[in-house]
Amino acid sequence: MSGEEEENAAELKIPDEFLKAKCLMNCEVALILEHKYEQLQQMADDPMNQMSQVFEKSLQYVKRFSRYKNPDAVRQVREILSRYQLAEFELCVLGNLCPETVEEAIAMVPSIKTRGRAHDDEAIEKMLNDLSLIKKFE
Amino acid sequence: MYIKSKLSWNVVLPAENLDVKGLMLQKAIITRLMADFAAKKASKDLGYFLAVTTVASIGEGKVRQQSGDVLFPVDFSCITFKMLTGEVLEGIVHKILKHGIFLRCGPAESVYLSHQKMDDYQYVPGENPYFMNSKSSKIEKGVVVRFLVIGEKFIEAEKDFRAVVSLEGDYLGPIS
Repeated sequence: MSGEEEENAAELKIPDEFLKAKCLMNCEVALILEHKYEQLQQMADDPMNQMSQVFEKSLQYVKRFSRYKNPDAVRQVREILSRYQLAEFELCVLGNLCPETVEEAIAMVPSIKTRGRAHDDEAIEKMLNDLSLIKKFE
Repeated sequence: MYIKSKLSWNVVLPAENLDVKGLMLQKAIITRLMADFAAKKASKDLGYFLAVTTVASIGEGKVRQQSGDVLFPVDFSCITFKMLTGEVLEGIVHKILKHGIFLRCGPAESVYLSHQKMDDYQYVPGENPYFMNSKSSKIEKGVVVRFLVIGEKFIEAEKDFRAVVSLEGDYLGPIS
């Protein structure tokens, strides 16, 4: 890696573009790309031509790796995770991987436990419970 | 990680596309923007270019002296994908070699997991080779693997990324 400070997502040292931008979960990207795909089919004379390989592969991937399919559930996941003072990046990793235990959540996103942030195990546990509830009722 | 970015590009329309007016002109500009966007494929900072989501504004066209082409400044939002060092992701195994495994993750196909980065897994040769550890956990073609990104490189000529990933860490490995 080049750059002044070494990139390490585990410590939330990520490029500004990713720290400040709106990160998206797989399930959100799936909704957007599917909508886009429908649009392309309607407007273009030649939809295949408009769709890049990057688009196609990404659509396949996010469809397979979306934990939530229902648009309402997708919105709820973001809403619930937003209550926990997470960085956009952390929010999306959690929403994508849906860890089942506190220990797993910390292994996936170590930064939630660093720098005296207000995430004790209890808060993380509650967050994971809330997430699994959405899955159950989807 | 997928992110939503705002970009400003110049879209160049050849003079012969200009005999159409109003909405048709707008459509021509957006069609060209999407074609340029797809052709650009990826950049070092933002990663792979997936899709233009919304066009915020199209500025006034400027005629280029030499060619007569018209250049329009366009502001738009788009989605891009880049693997970050230290990020945990999931991918699908698509190739098994003696010295490691290649995975697919989103638009990236050159995600490499070296056998040195998966401790206890051993290569098992055969018609369909695979890797297996002492607990009989098997990594074969088509299996989903959760991994940690340890490095990434942008290949300018191919506009493609190469990533090196690892299974060293808790809760990483094949997912049933």
